[in-house]
Amino acid sequence: MTAPHVFGIRHLSPAGAWHLRGYLDQVQPELVLVEGPSDFNGLIGDLVRAQVKLPVAVMAYTKEMPIRTILYPLAEYSPEYQAILWAKQHGCACRFCDLPSEVFLGIRQAREGRRMAETPKELEDGDGAEPVYRALDDICGDGGQETFWERTMEHCADLDGYRAGAGCFGRSLRGLTLGRREEDAENLVREAYMRRVIRDAVAEGFAPEKIVVITGAFHVDGLADPALPPLSDQELAALPRLETLTTLMPYSYYRLSERSGYGAGNKAPAYYELLWDGLQEGLPDYAAERYLTGLASYQRAHGTNVSSAEVMEAMRLARSLAELRGYRIPALLDLRDAAVTCMGHGYLSELVLAVADTEIGTRIGSLPQGISRTSVQADFYQKLKELHLERYRSAAAQELALDLREKLTVKSKKSAFLDLERSFFLHRLRVLGISFAALEQVRQEHATWAERWTLRWTPEAEIQIVEAVLKGDTIEQAAGFVLKKKLEEAGSIAELAAVVEQACFCGMPAAVSMAVTALQQSAVDAASVAELADTAMHLSVTVRYGDIRKLDGEPFLPILSQLCLRTCLLLPGECVCDDAASAAVARAMKQMNDVVVQHEFLDGERWDRVLLQTAGRDDCNTKLSGLAAAILLERGRLEQAELEIEMQRRLSCGIPAELGAGWFEGLSMKNHYALIARMHLWEALSDYLDTLTDEEFKRALVFLRRAFADYTAAEKDRIAENLGEIWQVNPTQVSEALNGPVSFEGLDDFDFDDI
Amino acid sequence: MEQQIQRLPAEQLYQKELDTLIANEQYPVPTGWRMSPKSVLTYICGGTSGGMEIMPKYIGHRRLVEIAISTLVTDRALLLTGEPGTAKSWLSEHLAAAINGDSTRVIQGTAGTTEEQIRYSWNYAMLIANGPSREAMIPSPIYRAMEQGAIARVEEISRCASEVQDALISILSEKRITVPELGTEVPAQKGFSIIATANTHDRGVNEMSAALKRRFNIVVLPAPETLEAEMEIVRTRIAQLAGSLDLNAKLPKEDVIEKVCTIFRELRAGVTLDGKQKLKSTIGVLSTAEAISLLANSMALAGSFGSGTITDQDLAAGLQGAVVKEDSRDGKAWEEYLENIMKKRGSRWLSLYTECKELNR
Repeated sequence: MTAPHVFGIRHLSPAGAWHLRGYLDQVQPELVLVEGPSDFNGLIGDLVRAQVKLPVAVMAYTKEMPIRTILYPLAEYSPEYQAILWAKQHGCACRFCDLPSEVFLGIRQAREGRRMAETPKELEDGDGAEPVYRALDDICGDGGQETFWERTMEHCADLDGYRAGAGCFGRSLRGLTLGRREEDAENLVREAYMRRVIRDAVAEGFAPEKIVVITGAFHVDGLADPALPPLSDQELAALPRLETLTTLMPYSYYRLSERSGYGAGNKAPAYYELLWDGLQEGLPDYAAERYLTGLASYQRAHGTNVSSAEVMEAMRLARSLAELRGYRIPALLDLRDAAVTCMGHGYLSELVLAVADTEIGTRIGSLPQGISRTSVQADFYQKLKELHLERYRSAAAQELALDLREKLTVKSKKSAFLDLERSFFLHRLRVLGISFAALEQVRQEHATWAERWTLRWTPEAEIQIVEAVLKGDTIEQAAGFVLKKKLEEAGSIAELAAVVEQACFCGMPAAVSMAVTALQQSAVDAASVAELADTAMHLSVTVRYGDIRKLDGEPFLPILSQLCLRTCLLLPGECVCDDAASAAVARAMKQMNDVVVQHEFLDGERWDRVLLQTAGRDDCNTKLSGLAAAILLERGRLEQAELEIEMQRRLSCGIPAELGAGWFEGLSMKNHYALIARMHLWEALSDYLDTLTDEEFKRALVFLRRAFADYTAAEKDRIAENLGEIWQVNPTQVSEALNGPVSFEGLDDFDFDDI
Repeated sequence: MEQQIQRLPAEQLYQKELDTLIANEQYPVPTGWRMSPKSVLTYICGGTSGGMEIMPKYIGHRRLVEIAISTLVTDRALLLTGEPGTAKSWLSEHLAAAINGDSTRVIQGTAGTTEEQIRYSWNYAMLIANGPSREAMIPSPIYRAMEQGAIARVEEISRCASEVQDALISILSEKRITVPELGTEVPAQKGFSIIATANTHDRGVNEMSAALKRRFNIVVLPAPETLEAEMEIVRTRIAQLAGSLDLNAKLPKEDVIEKVCTIFRELRAGVTLDGKQKLKSTIGVLSTAEAISLLANSMALAGSFGSGTITDQDLAAGLQGAVVKEDSRDGKAWEEYLENIMKKRGSRWLSLYTECKELNR
């Protein structure tokens, strides 16, 4: 049998797509076979409809949980897509010829099962050719194999040259790797299946020389060798299978750029589109020129002046860089480096947005309505069923109250945590912005175990779910993606803390630990004690109550101690402030103290040292010094005698009224009873007040009233008793004065602005 | 008697390598150059030529060297910038040495540099006696480079006053210097270019004008890319220094170099080497050059007053001085680093941690 024509390609290669079209024009085949699961054949018609805007992906996913997916992204410049398009334009038959997706996923499941079983033996995931690519990276130096491929293949203007090059590349790769890895078994089965499809096509009546097979360069030898047998019926039947559904889905350049490595994606889809346009225009420098002018116009549109002279210099430099390596046409790496040197003053950071826009672009594919049924949708409905939420899928709003605690009365573990799982699911929808579920405020603020939701189904929700497919294959993956984006965009430590919280609510440990890392990173830069203490407080609460949501608090602990250390370092400095700023610092001190008290692993000694320093220093805000003393008293680090000496010192004759009374105000911010019980303190206060002049007394009064505002009526009674004893008057009278309405008599002419 | 020159220019120090490269040239040589761009690259980044091992002069960031060389091939002027201590002048000197075999056409920029030093000045005695003539004129290094089609170097360009920097603008765009006193002008021969160096942030530098920046291709030299590269640089330079300075101490152990480079890299980047933990970086610059001088200092200390081997105590003293320079915030950053990072590194770091903590009180 004469062999069919096999055209080896690299996926997502503009030059491959271009030369492939030329090759098809030469051969004029009657049947085009494209590498891709053969159960995708039904989608070919939809794929070439006029309303389809690329990039799109062909996708298969399992019906059963957990959802596994297999994805074939296609861009305008994908050789596979151009082959399918050519077939349609020339009225030629076109089919996919690889193993059906159900077998692909079946094999994958079987392999994963085997790996689970044989852990801990290290088995790296991924392409068996990885070491070869790494070696290629090392040989090629800067830019690695991506640049190597672009220079040698994408810039190849000659059809035969391209074919020979791709063939040589595939053959070498095959020779170097075949038989080394587990995945190669799959490769061999795939090739046998493709040979089977070719045999069947020949049997159907297509002449072999009228068939063109488009496949990854790696497989060329496996298909062209007539000695190799096709897959037999028996062998085919023996392959593992998982039931799957297939669909087309919209795709985006952004997602394409995120998947790297051979076949799966490319890092600069928008630039590759320029290469494709250049091939159609017949201009070899088209992409280079467009790329540089694209950067320049992006910069100009965003307020940075870039002159045409700079663009021209960049072009010259890029050419010169390519020549240094012995090439004529600059590759993306040359262009980017030249642009940074000539347009970005040597800094990539100045151009980074323009580079992202020009290399990756924002293109999003679209499909006509009704031809997409994606894995995220399937996942959503599956989850609804699993969590018994289907009856809430109605247009009428319904309430759902959740109790997250483990239900001890039920038998199965699943139903014991049903509400918790529901909460995770609904929170994930919330993160994705799917309007199906809305969280209601719970009246009881500290009831961490109760949640109330309102569920309502709308057509918009369905659309939002379809859109979520751009973020991930399942609801969980997509939510993880959104959380990751939020982390990248978060500007302040408070926003990050919010993401940590969201990740906890979603029950996604991986996202939590990622958020925690991000939090650690920006905690380093956070400058204010208030922010640090607030975050520490939130984390502390999460750690303490996390077990309700089955959260492991361990990763939070190092950050907590870091936050504590940093607060300790900054606090003495921040305590030198005016009264307006002191309120925030005081709050932070109290919060931090609570955190230190709650977690024994924190450096309590350092905290005490810092408090002692703050309490003793005379240049700090006196209120804060007083508060520090109060906290030390509470922690049992300040002896009665020491406190009395300090009180005498702070409230000695000649100390300005606002400083003395301010210190007392700070001291009164905590543990009232301990203060009330110490008679000597009140004597000292009384003595101090006696030393003040009338004018000073009025000023002191303002602070003292503020200090006593926090005391309850009963506490004030006891103070009255104390003072009554000191002043030798009836405690009831004092109490009336303390608890009664404020009389402003005598304060009318007082200038409050001073304070 | 043999002269004891403290430091020879690059083209004399590496004359053998340069001669070998020129003798074994295989690629086309641009006008005015002594060797092809590829050979220049080999000279700077290392390799072999005609069976001779060429020592790498600049370790890491080969791509940046490629960009620098390509810039000079296109007649454009090259500006090397970066933080202090990133081998800008070093690279500039070796580029000129390889391309022209002469790295001495150099203007050392200071706040006192005048426009005459950029263009030309006069021998005033001759000027007054005979009037303006070519003999009475003293051409600047740039003037001579233009005449000869060679490369001139301007060191520390950002330290020159703005009006002096401005003198370069028209030279770079028109590629000629006019001499109105003689009624002539000097057009630049092919091969003329300028390599300038500038510090990004330092005291006493003048921001360069956009007009001047536009006339340069700017390459920013970063700190060494990897720990290994930085250690390699430190190791080789320390060995060279120890020889020429006659330090009576043993060369620092690998472990010591690694610790110093690790601390410097982490404080510089604001993140631990494994990238997992962010930390507060210091305001003061911690360059590789500083790591080298820190170790050389410690060696001098150990050699003159100690046992001859660098101890953790010597190292801690050096680190304290290098990390905490004038800003008190750096003291806090250093303490945070000690507590958050170094303390948790285990026994290998423990004694250094204790010494540093003791000093940073």
